[in-house]
Amino acid sequence: MSDRLLEVRDLATTFATAGGPLPAVGGVSFDLNQNETLGIVGESGSGKTVLSRTIMGLQPRTNVTVSGSARLNGFEVVGASEEAKRGIWGTEVAMVFQDPMTSLNPVMRIGKQIDEVLRVRLGMDKAAAKARAIELLELVGIPSPVERYRAYPGQLSGGMRQRVVIAIALACSPKLLMADEPTTGLDVTIQAQILNLLDRLKSQLQMSVILVTHDLGVVATRTSRIIVMYAGRVVETGSTRDVFQNHRMPYTRALLESSPKVASHSHTRLQAIPGRPPNLMKLTAGCAFAPRCAYATERCHRERPELTAAEGPGHAFACWNPLPTTRGAS
Amino acid sequence: MSDPRTPLLKVRDLSVTFGTKRHPVSAVAGISFDVYEGETLGLVGESGCGKSTTGKAIMRIVEPTGGTVELEGRDITTEKGRALRQLRTRLQMIFQDPISSLNPRRRVKDIVAEPLDCWKSVTGDERERLVQDLLSKVGIDPLVYGNRYARQFSGGQCQRISIARSLAMRPKLLICDEMVSALDVSVQAQILNLLEDLKNEYGLTLLFIAHDLAVVKNVSDRVAVMYLGKICEIGPSDTLYEDPEHPYTKFLLGAALEADVDSPVHGDVLEGEPPSPLNPPSGCRFRTRCPNATEKCASEEPLLQEIAPGHQVACHYPLRTLARR
Amino acid sequence: MSDQLEELTLINRPEKSRPLGLLFWICVGWVGLNIFGAIFANLLPLPDPLFQNYSAINVGPGIHHLLGTDDLGRDIFSRIVFGSRVSLAVGAGAMLIGFGLGAPLGMLAAYRRGRFDAIFTTFMYVLLAFPAIIATIAVLSFWTPRALVKIIVVIGLASVPLVYRVIRTATMGIATKDYVVAARIQGATDTRILFKELLPNVAPIGVSFLLIGIATVITLEGALAFLGLSVNPPTPSWGNMINESRTVLAQNPWLVIFPSLALCLFLLCLNFIGDRLRSHFDVTEVKL
Repeated sequence: MSDRLLEVRDLATTFATAGGPLPAVGGVSFDLNQNETLGIVGESGSGKTVLSRTIMGLQPRTNVTVSGSARLNGFEVVGASEEAKRGIWGTEVAMVFQDPMTSLNPVMRIGKQIDEVLRVRLGMDKAAAKARAIELLELVGIPSPVERYRAYPGQLSGGMRQRVVIAIALACSPKLLMADEPTTGLDVTIQAQILNLLDRLKSQLQMSVILVTHDLGVVATRTSRIIVMYAGRVVETGSTRDVFQNHRMPYTRALLESSPKVASHSHTRLQAIPGRPPNLMKLTAGCAFAPRCAYATERCHRERPELTAAEGPGHAFACWNPLPTTRGAS
Repeated sequence: MSDPRTPLLKVRDLSVTFGTKRHPVSAVAGISFDVYEGETLGLVGESGCGKSTTGKAIMRIVEPTGGTVELEGRDITTEKGRALRQLRTRLQMIFQDPISSLNPRRRVKDIVAEPLDCWKSVTGDERERLVQDLLSKVGIDPLVYGNRYARQFSGGQCQRISIARSLAMRPKLLICDEMVSALDVSVQAQILNLLEDLKNEYGLTLLFIAHDLAVVKNVSDRVAVMYLGKICEIGPSDTLYEDPEHPYTKFLLGAALEADVDSPVHGDVLEGEPPSPLNPPSGCRFRTRCPNATEKCASEEPLLQEIAPGHQVACHYPLRTLARR
Repeated sequence: MSDQLEELTLINRPEKSRPLGLLFWICVGWVGLNIFGAIFANLLPLPDPLFQNYSAINVGPGIHHLLGTDDLGRDIFSRIVFGSRVSLAVGAGAMLIGFGLGAPLGMLAAYRRGRFDAIFTTFMYVLLAFPAIIATIAVLSFWTPRALVKIIVVIGLASVPLVYRVIRTATMGIATKDYVVAARIQGATDTRILFKELLPNVAPIGVSFLLIGIATVITLEGALAFLGLSVNPPTPSWGNMINESRTVLAQNPWLVIFPSLALCLFLLCLNFIGDRLRSHFDVTEVKL
């Protein structure tokens, strides 16, 4: 397939810690096509953030082992030198982080921060860079961009700062935008604005987007496919509709049912998942979710299920005792 | 007030002003509401709307600059010293950051026993028994974890310990300030269910402050919506969520992200951002972003008025009456 | 990258913190040995540090004199052991005064804030702006005859603003934590909060600063001795010994090497222990 942008195969990231090896990502494979929006969903410690950073080639220089492969538009990220990776950052893939305040330099005018990227990476001259920076600020919906060009990050609200971060990410027209919890910590109304913006930019600029989040609400209407992660592994993947409505892995269902809904009545009892996410340093040979799973059998504790295909296109789940399919029934 | 019950907590014209005399920031600008015995009142709003400050002002963690807060008929705002400390044990608060809520260098059972030790209300074996009871109530095994230090626990467990501590003195009112927003969904559900159970068991009244609309609806009997230091709407949660009367409430609900593929992709997104509380707009504080605003909204501040039993809205043009026209 | 490690370690927190390490315990041992020597110097089988043996002047290290003798035939090893008494007394005594006054004030100011804090902090900052070392030298040159107690008092008082500042800053970071607010709303009195909530969290920071403070004060005593402003000869102190050896440096380099080595090793150990304890006690520091 020629429109394949990203191919991830058996990607694993292990940190060496004082307490022993910490397998943050334990063998993940998936593909991403051009112009596609993929959601990576998981709770804290599920490995979603480490996975996204590993794909970016952003991992600490020491105490970490990465194996497997992540090919971005033909470029193998795993094992690539810092120098080579610098060649793809910005132009092939760019990242939007959760906290806009820490990804912006607080003592530098925002215009300069965008200019710098343009001049260093694209070799633009001063005037062209400024014109392009203002254009970018306008593109991400910052009102009066000419004045804001001279503002410091501290003078902007959280939502505006996140827009600036997106503008910087878009500076070199990346083919893939990796957004790690881009709206966490923002107010609901601002959250909606930012997600709408990402949606608009995606189709306007013909990008692919990976949306990493813990919030199922964020990915429900914004993605075409979803990967659900638990304890460093993919436990279910498929089209957004399949994952939401025809999930087979009990964890996916538990995740969906445990979050309160605006539509349901007050005092509706929530279906909580008992226990808490496992300690990655003490993973057993079985399914990592088994200790919290209502359907777990003896086999689940002994043997880890691999991803098996379900009916839907690209739909797969890792479970020995999957939930019955609702496909075709409704 | 149409409710025949007597309120447990009566807040009248509460205001909190920060900053200097020359540049006052009015975080809470004169709000009034009641919390009835045994109910849960949800307080929602976006960051900077003053919901957390309201909770802290009720506890007198920040000093109110005006208004009164009456708990069972006693005005908290005028109490001092030991009387204030004693009155405060009737109401307790749970904070957003579970890790920072517990002293990392103290043992769990000592943390839970802290209120008891402060007041020397129970000692010795009875203290031990009560602590064990409280810890088991919140799902922490006292024999396994009682002697551990707080720093060894996860966020959800820390929040459980915080709840146990807050219940030690048998308070009437529990103020929950964003108590689940730092937790993962799966843990969040556990804590919300636990809170619901304990509320029934201990006969608690809750003031539940949060930004997450779905969470607030789940726990609340009534909900108050705040915007820029003012309450714009207050009413029974099901009614308020189904038929919001204030335009802001409607936008807020429209922006809430539902974990549902068929939920509409937001058509009406509230544009812009809230104005600075340093320089709030005249009249209605929402008028600068409101699609229905008129000159009247700029000149005259809408007051909270009852439009249905128990449902109050501070708007010159409530949505229902607007639709009728 | 640090945030994701933090997230991971929050969930996969090791149940025990990392051991302090062999080097730490070697340092503790060395410091302990020094303290032991200083306290029991009289009881140890050492030659009199003041006895001048004219038949053995400037002898190198050997069996009779472990580290040799000085230009007056005094045993260097014995003088180093006895000399440590001055250094240790100045270090411990001055820090006792510094912490005794500075730490409670700093904690109280950070917890109470308001006018109390404003007054004390301004006062301390005025003192800090004053060059402490020059002031110490000035006071000690006029306050004669010099005695150990006077040196301790002067250095101790000079360290108060420094201790105040460190403890105040450390306390301020803790006083705003939710658990302090939680203690307040449970009805804890200010005294109770200071001792139960703040002190246990400030103490580790205080202890590591204390060790580094002792090291600094010992260095200062050495410097004062070098200027002839410490205890009067012939009482040995490490600084004194280095000072006296200046004149005979060419003939007998051991004279300067051994006291310097004793001073350096002791300070190195103190600093290392302080630093190691700080990171060990830092519960927020990612333990990877």
